[in-house]
Amino acid sequence: MRILVMTKPVPDPAANAERLGPDLRLDRAASPSVVNGNDEYGLEAALQLVERLGGEVAILTMAPAAGVETMRKALAMGAMRGVLVADDALAGADIPTTIRVLAAAAATQEFDLLLGGLDTSDGAGGAVTAGVAARLGLPLLSAAALIEPDEAGRTVRVRRLSAKGYDVLQAPMPAVISCTQVLGTPRYPSLKGIMAARSRQITTLSVADLGGDLLPGGGQWPSRVLGVQPPPSRAAGRTITAAPADAAREIADFLAERRLI
Amino acid sequence: MTHNGPILGSTRLTEEQLLLREAVRVLADERVAPRAAAIDREAEFPEDMRQLLAEHDVFAIPFAERHGGLGADLLTLVLAIEQLSRACATTGLLLAVQSLGAIPIQIAGTEEQQDRWLPGLASGEKLIAFGLTEPDAGSDPSGIRTRAVRDGDEYVIDGGKRFISHASVADYVVVFAVTNPEAEKPSRRLSAILVETDRPGFKVARIEHKMGLRGSPTAELAFDGLRVPVGNRLGEEGHGFAIAMQTFERSRPGIAAQAVGIAQGALEAAAAYANQRKQFGRPIGELQMIQALLADMDAATEAARHLLYTACDEIEAGNTHAARWAAIAKLVAGDTAMRVTTDAVQVFGGYGYIDEYPVERMMRDAKITQLYEGTQQIQRLIVARSLLARS
Amino acid sequence: MPPTLLVIGEVADGHLTKLSAEIATLAAGLAGSSGGTALGLIVDAAPDGAAAELAAYLPRVVSVASAAAADEVWAPHAAAEARRLLDEGVTHVLAGVTNDGRDVAGLLCGALGWGVLANAAGATWEGERLVVEAVVLAGKAITRSTVDAPSAIVTVTPGAADAVGSGAPGRVESREPAGSPVVPAARVLERVAEAGAEASLEEANVVVVGGRGVGGPEGFELVDELAGLLGGVTGASRAAVDAGWIPYARQIGQTGKVVRPALYLSLGVSGAMQHRAGMQGSQNVIAINRDPDAPVAEIADLFVVGDLFAVGPALSAEIRARRGG
Repeated sequence: MRILVMTKPVPDPAANAERLGPDLRLDRAASPSVVNGNDEYGLEAALQLVERLGGEVAILTMAPAAGVETMRKALAMGAMRGVLVADDALAGADIPTTIRVLAAAAATQEFDLLLGGLDTSDGAGGAVTAGVAARLGLPLLSAAALIEPDEAGRTVRVRRLSAKGYDVLQAPMPAVISCTQVLGTPRYPSLKGIMAARSRQITTLSVADLGGDLLPGGGQWPSRVLGVQPPPSRAAGRTITAAPADAAREIADFLAERRLI
Repeated sequence: MTHNGPILGSTRLTEEQLLLREAVRVLADERVAPRAAAIDREAEFPEDMRQLLAEHDVFAIPFAERHGGLGADLLTLVLAIEQLSRACATTGLLLAVQSLGAIPIQIAGTEEQQDRWLPGLASGEKLIAFGLTEPDAGSDPSGIRTRAVRDGDEYVIDGGKRFISHASVADYVVVFAVTNPEAEKPSRRLSAILVETDRPGFKVARIEHKMGLRGSPTAELAFDGLRVPVGNRLGEEGHGFAIAMQTFERSRPGIAAQAVGIAQGALEAAAAYANQRKQFGRPIGELQMIQALLADMDAATEAARHLLYTACDEIEAGNTHAARWAAIAKLVAGDTAMRVTTDAVQVFGGYGYIDEYPVERMMRDAKITQLYEGTQQIQRLIVARSLLARS
Repeated sequence: MPPTLLVIGEVADGHLTKLSAEIATLAAGLAGSSGGTALGLIVDAAPDGAAAELAAYLPRVVSVASAAAADEVWAPHAAAEARRLLDEGVTHVLAGVTNDGRDVAGLLCGALGWGVLANAAGATWEGERLVVEAVVLAGKAITRSTVDAPSAIVTVTPGAADAVGSGAPGRVESREPAGSPVVPAARVLERVAEAGAEASLEEANVVVVGGRGVGGPEGFELVDELAGLLGGVTGASRAAVDAGWIPYARQIGQTGKVVRPALYLSLGVSGAMQHRAGMQGSQNVIAINRDPDAPVAEIADLFVVGDLFAVGPALSAEIRARRGG
């Protein structure tokens, strides 16, 4: 079983310090980077699959050169090797370019499954994994809550989250799967894993190495942020500390005033 | 608590050390910290913590890869002890004593001896203790009376030890015994001999009731006609004292790490309390006297930490003055832990004195770092002599 | 060149979704203000009902009856149909911020290379460019973004426009399916309904949310009771979902559902930023928490410091009393 997992370093949501810089791009120095949540759920699912079925998990990341650090954690969790596409020309890359670059890099690797997050905590576009599937012409099984490959039959089954519960999907491998938190909590790298990661290989590629026409012409990204402002502040609320019955009365008054009861 | 950790620049730690520190920190916060109060209250050896450290390869840190270890350096070991001790000094000591007991094997053991004993220690399956101290031999090792008499291909050991951490739960104790009573220099009289604790003649005479580190059993041992193969001796006869001194160069930083960890834990608890506790209409953290206390506590802890990390780098690099580095780090860290925990209790006021809050335990735990692995007075002697020799 | 906006409609239980109706209204408005056109697309095994509903908002709806869409995932087929319409001069494709909608948007982006304007909460023209407003970074900022190109793909969040019919029903054109989906479409073997998963949280007018303070699955009985009394839907914070007390489908927050009800009432929710990202558009926020320093106090209109297990039942009793029963 060969599983390639796309991981993106994002500002750590727990640090709660994400912000846009003066160039209206995400200020990636403002907080430490971690692997995007949904990508990590995918990585965990992949590691469990190869533990059960044999095989190997590899990581694919498009990021500045410092992206190597978050890749090390993925290697420490058990991935065997990494591919990093790092190129100054990709700073601030838009969604179509990201899709093209990741697809081109993935095409250099052999895999049965290509995993990506359903979306990222910084961009939240939710388009990249699907876009990569389109570029590669591979089936897309999205919003995965459970992944079950059948190696002998060369198919994969995925439970896809739906409004009412889940749908059970099936497609031939190789296939692209976008991952959700329902796949399960990622393991913390074991100390042995951290030390073993030292000797694992991260291959760095530039845009030129990928060949082809991956960048839009013109020197500027077509998609851009024109302006940013803070969210509208809410009017200050009221705090009450009272005995339960009195508190209940105040809440009910509040609701009644607003015709909510 | 997650982001209250020391603001440690990644400039001085490698990526790997950062990852490892983080992994142990999470383990400490999630699995060790919730047990700390009970471990102290019950005063029983925390077997579950021992399992936890074994499962998570924490014991493997100071051992070479060929023995099943992680092959990590001294600073990495110190990072782990510090993070564990932040949550529970007793649990931190599990790692510190394991590494302490193994050092004589690592520095003086033959390859065969290392292959025989180290893998079990690295996996945490076996525990080891370090048996130097005796009732009449604390700071002064020339008072050691335990005798190991050669009889054919065995030694017969008679005597006893006191204040040996974990000896009652250990599988092995490295016993320092007199094999060369006639040697001219007192420092050539001892040998280091590894004793398996299930041998007849090995007895745990008592376990001490201590001020702090109450989950860590501190044992008095009695050896009565205890026979061990000559093959259990580490290094040559008469080299025991040198082995012990060399051991301390690498083990004292571990105790310093425990001390820095205890201080950090107390500091964090005090800072959190200062943010919450309201008197005179506001959090006490807004009062300048509290701020002054906390600032001094933070500065002292940070300074002790960086001195310790520097000492680790120097010792690992084979600095000729390794003994001085180990001593100076342990000296500063131990005094810092005592001071910071005492001040932490002060920040808590009356609440700091009761076991509803952890700082009274931390203060009791801190004291031992000024006493064992060489008292602060011994450390001062080492530092002063080194300074004067260099002057 | 005046723009042509294509709205990809989504169908649930044979009907057009509320979100699609909102997006259609938005598109119609954008077409009107630019002298361009807007049209809709329905791809479904039985599209007629939804197509007629979409025609209430748009002058023209292309309705594709796709048998494949019954047994296969929808997005690759919808994307193929959308791509076919490019030949008719579509410049902007609008889809909803749903798993299906984002899949179509992503597939089209991969296939066409068009820029994506994601999570639009509003859209206007600035000259010939479409500019969208989006809430980003778990609610920390609102950005205005555009694509410097004649065409773009837009994903639209609930509430970007109120669904308002155009007044004159549009024309529905039925078409045969295109042929091949944009990528091989996975087969749907089974559709499983999970008890507790069905929750139209995003469309609910009242949401009552349980957090870590609720303590366990039994605690959600109180949450459900209040939800029932207030005519609302039960939601949960991530802490409650991770603890296994309630299915992920109920999770509100950055990695769950985004709700914009008239009333958001929470019990035992601390209100971390990632949760607030999912409910900060609520009109009225009431939070009950025994921690006076809980972050949720910052956005609550009414913050009640107290034990939810005391205040909750008291509130339930008070509401019943006022209703005379």
